[in-house]
Amino acid sequence: MKPEKISKTIEKYGNDREHLMLILRDLEVQSGKNVLDVQTLRSVAEQMNMPQGAVAGFVGFYTMFKTEPRARFVIRVCKSGPCHVMGSTNVFDVIQKHLGIGIGEGTKDGLFFLEKCECLGVCSVAPAMMINYDIHGNLTPKRIVSILNSYKKKKPTLKEDCGKEVDGKACVINDPKQMKRLIADVGVVDPLKIESYMARGGYEALKKSLKMEPAQIVQTVKDSGLRGRGGAGFPAGVKWTFVTKGPHQKYVVCNADEGEPGTFKDRILMEENPHLLLEGMAVCGYAIDASLGYIYIRGEYRRSIERLQRAIDQARQKGILGKNIFGSKFNFDVLIKEGGGAYVCGEETSLINSMEGKRGYPRFKPPFPGGAGFNGLPSNVNNVETLMSVPMIIGKGADWYKAVGPQNCSGTKLYCLSGKLNRTGLVELPMGSTLKEIINVYGKGMAKGKKFKFAQVGGSAGGILGKDLMDLPLDIDSPMKKGVTLGSGVVLVCDEGTCAVDFLMQILSFFEHESCGQCVPCRVGTAQLHALVKKIAERRGTEQDIDALVEKATVMKKASFCALGQSPIMPITTMLKYFRKEFVAHCNPKHKCPQCDKSLARYYSGRGH
Amino acid sequence: MDTIQLTFDGKEVTGKKGQTILEVARDNGIDIPYLCYHPRISKTGACRICLVRVNDTALKPSCTEPAANGMKIDTEDEEIRELRRSILGMLLAEGDHNCLYCEWNGECELQRLCHRYDVPEPTGEFPKREREVDTVSSNGLRRNENRCILCGRCVKACSEIQMNSVWEFTGRGSATTLTSDMFDRIGDSSCVKCGTCVQLCPTGALSFQTVLGRGQSWELQKESSICIYCGVGCKIDFYTNKEGVLVKAMGNEQGPNEGHLCVKGRFGFDFVQSDKRLTKPLIKKNGKFEEAEWDEALGLVASKLSEIKSATGPDSIMAFSSAKCTNEENYLMQKFMRAVIGTNNVDHCARL
Ligand SMILES: Cc1cc2nc3c(=O)[nH]c(=O)nc-3n(C[C@H](O)[C@H](O)[C@H](O)COP(=O)(O)O)c2cc1C
Ligand code: SF4
Repeated sequence: MKPEKISKTIEKYGNDREHLMLILRDLEVQSGKNVLDVQTLRSVAEQMNMPQGAVAGFVGFYTMFKTEPRARFVIRVCKSGPCHVMGSTNVFDVIQKHLGIGIGEGTKDGLFFLEKCECLGVCSVAPAMMINYDIHGNLTPKRIVSILNSYKKKKPTLKEDCGKEVDGKACVINDPKQMKRLIADVGVVDPLKIESYMARGGYEALKKSLKMEPAQIVQTVKDSGLRGRGGAGFPAGVKWTFVTKGPHQKYVVCNADEGEPGTFKDRILMEENPHLLLEGMAVCGYAIDASLGYIYIRGEYRRSIERLQRAIDQARQKGILGKNIFGSKFNFDVLIKEGGGAYVCGEETSLINSMEGKRGYPRFKPPFPGGAGFNGLPSNVNNVETLMSVPMIIGKGADWYKAVGPQNCSGTKLYCLSGKLNRTGLVELPMGSTLKEIINVYGKGMAKGKKFKFAQVGGSAGGILGKDLMDLPLDIDSPMKKGVTLGSGVVLVCDEGTCAVDFLMQILSFFEHESCGQCVPCRVGTAQLHALVKKIAERRGTEQDIDALVEKATVMKKASFCALGQSPIMPITTMLKYFRKEFVAHCNPKHKCPQCDKSLARYYSGRGH
Repeated sequence: MDTIQLTFDGKEVTGKKGQTILEVARDNGIDIPYLCYHPRISKTGACRICLVRVNDTALKPSCTEPAANGMKIDTEDEEIRELRRSILGMLLAEGDHNCLYCEWNGECELQRLCHRYDVPEPTGEFPKREREVDTVSSNGLRRNENRCILCGRCVKACSEIQMNSVWEFTGRGSATTLTSDMFDRIGDSSCVKCGTCVQLCPTGALSFQTVLGRGQSWELQKESSICIYCGVGCKIDFYTNKEGVLVKAMGNEQGPNEGHLCVKGRFGFDFVQSDKRLTKPLIKKNGKFEEAEWDEALGLVASKLSEIKSATGPDSIMAFSSAKCTNEENYLMQKFMRAVIGTNNVDHCARL
């Protein structure tokens, strides 16, 4: 690429390392071949005054970038849990048949390149794929072909052109029995118009906050019992007190990386009610004395990025973001950062490294982000759902909020339903709803009258729930006692047709792909777990291999640097608790398993699988 | 300074506030094994070998965990030994660690730990990723990444000590590799061959061109000396083999250089044993250099200088000294010129 083109792009975003992600993304789109070639990267390093290695290291970490030419359009087919269960192997079949390419291969005309990818966050309309930055769901053979054909005349751009079926509104379950708080305005508010949000009482909570003492706000959030919705369930108000006080700059960081397979709640919230997030962040900013907020959104969520940017622009115009908000002394602005295809960047310290234009390696703690976060300054990291809960807590009070849900896990929870149900999508229910209720009432029962086999709760880092746990309250603490976790609220339901080995293989390949590789137990452990389960799926395994899965994952649990490496033990032990027999059966070379065969044939073929 | 009291395996020790558990241990001569830690670079916490038990419960990486007053540390118990063995086993399975063919055999930190924890030979059941082997592109460094444990010491050695940032990790997860600059070979990169990365490398992944085939580590003899190239006075450990041949120079960590060397100190020792080296003064007689004794040579220089001084004055003489000399030697030179010859014409070569 011409150096002038590169310098223009750098100028557009700024010369600092923290803008590297956006600069590279833009350059990759401009390349027309979805490539960042070495020459371009050298020039970027030189012009940004960065070591060449730092740019090479960055590009190599984020899977959305490639240094080899691909094609005008990259097709990324999701193979994570929900899509896998709903038939992503068929999607590969159709594409392979229609275009004649395997994974890591491109068509001769330079139009398409095929890749597999992890969760795209549209799990209720699985199986799904992303073409450049457009996401398409509900894929059937016919739809796939017509979607592909529609790209023949298109030009690569950063603007999303997703199908209607993945629209936030379309992914919410409409059921009057829900308890709608966070999603009360989804479909009511026009996400493109700030006036519409304000007409529904938007930004009133911020106004109210600005008349309160910051400490009072923190206390209210503490009293509400709101716990983090990103997975760990840490009390939000308590976390806010950890932000080091003083005259220095502090930041509110919103974790919108949403990488946990099966999770799509944050996307819907951001797409459908972006101003609510800005309001929550502003209240948090006021409470912890931060004048700047960052939203780190995964790069796959173009629509969220666009709608939030629009919301930010509108709020700035109205003076709701900026200086002296609502006539107070409070200044606050919000900026967007983007991800590049790395699940681990949802871990709060990886996220901060990624925001700084670095490889998404988790940092050791202490120091925690509240002490030293973005650029070494105190940063409070919260999930989208957590921050969006704040305005209603301020608006309606802590008592109102905690009147719902169990004592230690108050409020409502967004559950992301996917898999073999008659109805899938997002539901908002009191924290602690049971699997039985979720499946029967909100999922309208098992699809096609098939029998329930298991549910994966909490995503890849969560666990497997069998029939015996149908009545377990899915709150934050109760699942822990059973060796599972609610995590981000994933409920992926599988019927009797699902092979346990095949399912675990897909989880463990996910972990190998997403491990950052920094620490030994996880880097090597995830690869070995994947190899072991693959061996069993290929019917070459032994019972020792089954035990080795548990042994390795135990070492990882005890010794890994961050929660990613500590997680695989959960799906493994819970899966084996129910289906060890099935694993043993797979150890017989004569055992027939068309599902494992198909996964092995589809996901592990092509030049670049 | 604030001090803290803690116990390691029942032994009471004193540490400084702000230190990590490992730092307190090292200061007190307590042995905790590690691979990614190195005192000269910032903390990584990635190898997980240095896990210790804190207050009878949690396992914590001692290299990053702050030490606190009253802490009770167990540096090793059965569970920790097992974990270390497993982690080391993973490293052996991930790479290609055949000590028989490795020039760092006997000096390898991974080898030492595998021995200490009785790590079984890898079964070979797990697929390995071939990584880069490049023994030719640089005339100073060799790279065999199949011996690499991705500890990151070289990355930090280059960026934090040499401030050159040649090495970096690229790829992710099990596909992580090193890169020098933009996926270049080390010889084509901006590497200045200071060799700091090799010095910090715990295995034989990075090595010097001068080492292979010149004697094994336990046959080498170490002699400490001061670098003769500039006034910094870096302390160097020179290693010679049984034949008396100089094999390698390693920075001595007790010197002012704290182990760091530049390319000259690292590789500029071949002249020492060169047969072209002058060992006696030479005087040109009848257009030809002839060996002479020191008294004769110095006498000749003194008489010539006096001759010039009386014929054309002291300012027709100038002295040019060397950065290779010590400060004291340079001081003497200018003193000699000013007090004995009587001129201010003094300069030095400023660089080498
Ligand atoms: C591997 C990994 C991935 C994570 N991914 C996310 C994520 O996508 N979104 C999120 O909000 N939190 C994620 N987390 C949790 C965050 O580290 C952090 O706990 C959370 O953002 C805090 O927000 P909360 O207190 O509001 O939940 C992840 C953690 C790990 C270890
Ligand atoms: S546990 Fe995995 S993801 Fe976390 S630091 Fe270690 S290698 Fe990286």
